[in-house]
Amino acid sequence: MARVKDYGNAELEEKLRDTSYYTDDSNPQFLEDVKKISRTAANMCFQCGTCTGSCPSAPRSSYRIRLFMRKGVLGLEQEALNDPDLWLCTTCYSCTDRCPRDLAPTDVIMAMRNLAFKYDIVPRNFLKTVQLIYNTGHGVPNNDVNRAAREKLGLTRDPATTHSYPEYIPGIQKIMDFYKMKENADRILAEEGQ
Amino acid sequence: MAETKEEPRIGVFICHCGTNIAGSLSIEEVKEYAESLDGVVVADEYQYMCSTPGQSKIIDAIAEHNLNGVVVAACSPRLHEPTFRTATEEGGLNKFRFEMANIRDQNSWVHMHDWKGATDKAKDQVLIAVAKARMLEDLQPKSVPVEHSALVLGGGVGGMQAALDLASAGIKTYLVEKAPTVGGRMSQLDKTFPTLDCSQCILTPKMVDVGRHPNIELRTYTEVENVEGYIGNFTITLRKKARGVLDPTEAEARGIVGGGCNGCGDCAEVCPVIKPNPFEFGMAPRKAIYIYHPQVMPLQYTIDFDSCVKCGLCVDACGPEKRAIDLESVDTFEQIKVGTCIIAIGYDYIPIEEKREWGYKQYDNVITGLEFERLICASGPTGGHLIRPSDGQTPMKVGFVLCAGSRDNTGGVNKPYCSRFCCMYSLKHAHQIMEKIPGAVPYIFYMDIRSFGKMYEEFYYRIQNEGAKFIRGRVANILEDPITKNLIVNTEDTLLGRPVSMEMDMVVLAAAIQPKPEAEKIRQMFGVSKSQDGWLLEAHPKLNPCGTTTAGIYLAGVCQAPKDIPDTVAQAEGAASAASIPIHTGEVQLEPYFAQCVDDLCAGCGMCLNQCPYGALDLVEKNGRTVMEVTEAKCKGCGTCGGFCPGGAIRMQHFTSPQICAQIDAFLLEGGEQ
Ligand SMILES: Cc1cc2nc3c(=O)[nH]c(=O)nc-3n(C[C@H](O)[C@H](O)[C@H](O)COP(=O)(O)OP(=O)(O)OC[C@H]3O[C@@H](n4cnc5c(N)ncnc54)[C@H](O)[C@@H]3O)c2cc1C
Ligand code: SF4
Ligand code: SF4
Ligand code: SF4
Ligand code: SF4
Repeated sequence: MARVKDYGNAELEEKLRDTSYYTDDSNPQFLEDVKKISRTAANMCFQCGTCTGSCPSAPRSSYRIRLFMRKGVLGLEQEALNDPDLWLCTTCYSCTDRCPRDLAPTDVIMAMRNLAFKYDIVPRNFLKTVQLIYNTGHGVPNNDVNRAAREKLGLTRDPATTHSYPEYIPGIQKIMDFYKMKENADRILAEEGQ
Repeated sequence: MAETKEEPRIGVFICHCGTNIAGSLSIEEVKEYAESLDGVVVADEYQYMCSTPGQSKIIDAIAEHNLNGVVVAACSPRLHEPTFRTATEEGGLNKFRFEMANIRDQNSWVHMHDWKGATDKAKDQVLIAVAKARMLEDLQPKSVPVEHSALVLGGGVGGMQAALDLASAGIKTYLVEKAPTVGGRMSQLDKTFPTLDCSQCILTPKMVDVGRHPNIELRTYTEVENVEGYIGNFTITLRKKARGVLDPTEAEARGIVGGGCNGCGDCAEVCPVIKPNPFEFGMAPRKAIYIYHPQVMPLQYTIDFDSCVKCGLCVDACGPEKRAIDLESVDTFEQIKVGTCIIAIGYDYIPIEEKREWGYKQYDNVITGLEFERLICASGPTGGHLIRPSDGQTPMKVGFVLCAGSRDNTGGVNKPYCSRFCCMYSLKHAHQIMEKIPGAVPYIFYMDIRSFGKMYEEFYYRIQNEGAKFIRGRVANILEDPITKNLIVNTEDTLLGRPVSMEMDMVVLAAAIQPKPEAEKIRQMFGVSKSQDGWLLEAHPKLNPCGTTTAGIYLAGVCQAPKDIPDTVAQAEGAASAASIPIHTGEVQLEPYFAQCVDDLCAGCGMCLNQCPYGALDLVEKNGRTVMEVTEAKCKGCGTCGGFCPGGAIRMQHFTSPQICAQIDAFLLEGGEQ
């Protein structure tokens, strides 16, 4: 944890904030959890940067997959899970394709997202997606613009998914209920007042 | 020899190996257990059995207890069997009255955290060793004379150095090179780090020396066809490939006095067939009749019969005096006898084009480090002008991709090891660009700069000071601008923590290296193992880096592991020194683990003859019967025949059936959990 100073001047304090990393910032269990969920030897990252160099998200944002690997290795759990960049991975798997240590950084990110969910750290749009899947079976449900486009292409107005077979929606809901996904999404959004 | 009839009197000695063994199991319990075994008259333990006091314990106990068998439970026989055999001998016993139980590598190191399990297992290992020791017998090693000659395979800088050392030590040395010239990779290099001396200039004297040293028999364009024999007495069959051109000696042998190739090149001038020159990686042409470059050794042309159309123009150009060209020449074979062999067959690049993301062979201006060497070299295809293959323009921004395929644990062509010289040669390349092209900037994309040798870190300092740009990030991918043929290199500057995308005029891949494809065949012929990564395996990584586990075979240069020229030359000199020892000693002792035929049991069926991988068996007449006979010097004691003989007539010395059965019985009857 950053050490607090007291200059009686908030602005100065922010500027002179201690940003060192101390060993007691580290939670070794975090690395173990990440490894277990991701099934990749995240501790073997040697920080070459191939992943960030391959990442389509990196040049468009402050998201650096390599830094998440590093935070995983060091057990910087709070820093990793509270970083909004965690949600900027597109899961394209380019990094996983090229990592010379044969790791799966994408799966590390997915593991961290799962762990973040346990602390209720989830961006709104992900929670809304949960609600949409629960209600329609789709993260991005069909809409009229799409329907028109499909017709133009000679397709049915709705695809052969839950849109055509709504009787399967209760099955999906059952799975999601088991993991309390909808319940939690509703709760978190309600707490945020959305 | 009959089984020993005397009562067994065995001493068991248990080593702590510091805490290596004693830290994982109870030495005291194992010792007490050993004392309880049949035939054991004394059991002792010591911190380091291999030390002088440890060995004295063995020597003294043999005298005091009149022992006739010694068991040491310690590390591996590979490490200390010779030590303890010597101690046994010094105590007055035949040295084959010794048996070792490996309670370290095979026990305490693997069962570090299982005190009881490891202790029980050590007891079993001692039990089994004692069972064998009860049945040991005196054996006499066989001495064989050593040929006063050596073979060096591969004429790169490593092979040439080894051959020169052996030859200068008075040993007749065959230097066998499969290419038409010696020189290897080093003759393809322009300059050498960190001193920047011209590679060819420092190599040529060695090439000339191997050509004229009275003790060196140089065989170029020649390969090894077959290897037979054992240390001191190898018989090697060489295949001299059809070269189509006679050297002066060969011409003279055919009665063409004063004839033979003098390297004038008149033939190549008229030859109508044009092919890419492999020495220049196809960047320059050569004829069907060719030399690689002007400094070749020997200076003798070679016909590539795969592309020769046999028009005969070269024969006419060569003329009636020299008559050097023989379009009907065929492969010839030669058998040589040597005492020891050094393998120095070098390395290749991996097929780096298989790493699709870096675009080699897809994009014109992505080249390899070796291609760069030829392009920057004054005697290379462009006369030393570095140009872009796409348009012949001089590149002003050149990217260097380090660790291209090295330090890479993914499947396919990628190599987990460090190729060791690419950091340094990339620094050298950066320097060469800045020196030759005013205003040109090298960009080095690296993970770590490994500058480990003498004056290497200083060289890094110098190149940085000269203006090279270093970007710490492994290159993710390279894209080509289809119009300009410029290259976009994508990576992360990991020190800034920002992705970078840089446009380069040219990119040089410091590709990973790997063993030659034929290394597999060579190592099988010579009986050499390989390590996990495919390089030829040394006998011990620290204490015997030039030897192999096959007596009489040594390694030099990159074929053993990646190394630069200084390390290659050092290892070559080490290998030459090691290979000369048996030759100068004049004789070597062979382990007496030969097969023996028990004539009374042999039916003379001869079925074993074909089983023997070393051709050591023959059928002979003895007392009016046909029986099998072993040529002991050829027998390697592999046991194939012994296991096979349907009549049980073959006895493997030191590994007899009664000895092995006694070990199995002991374990089955008394072993297991105590
Ligand atoms: C681009 C590049 C630049 C380099 N620059 C430097 C530098 O500046 N300084 C430095 O110290 N090192 C440098 N090196 C490393 C250097 O090339 C090696 O250290 C050196 O060549 C090793 O020598 P060698 O004799 O072991 O192998 P090689 O040079 O590969 O020689 C092996 C020889 O064996 C022959 N051969 C192979 N198979 C057989 C066979 N079956 N039968 C008979 N003969 C066979 C080959 O034809 C060859 O002549 C560089 C390497 C590269 C790739
Ligand atoms: S590519 Fe792999 S080894 Fe390299 S920084 Fe990314 S995760 Fe680590
Ligand atoms: S999977 Fe995610 S982190 Fe990896 S390259 Fe794609 S967007 Fe980037
Ligand atoms: S005979 Fe062969 S080598 Fe000679 S000139 Fe003709 S093609 Fe060339
Ligand atoms: S020598 Fe340098 S460039 Fe070559 S593999 Fe090793 S670290 Fe990479």
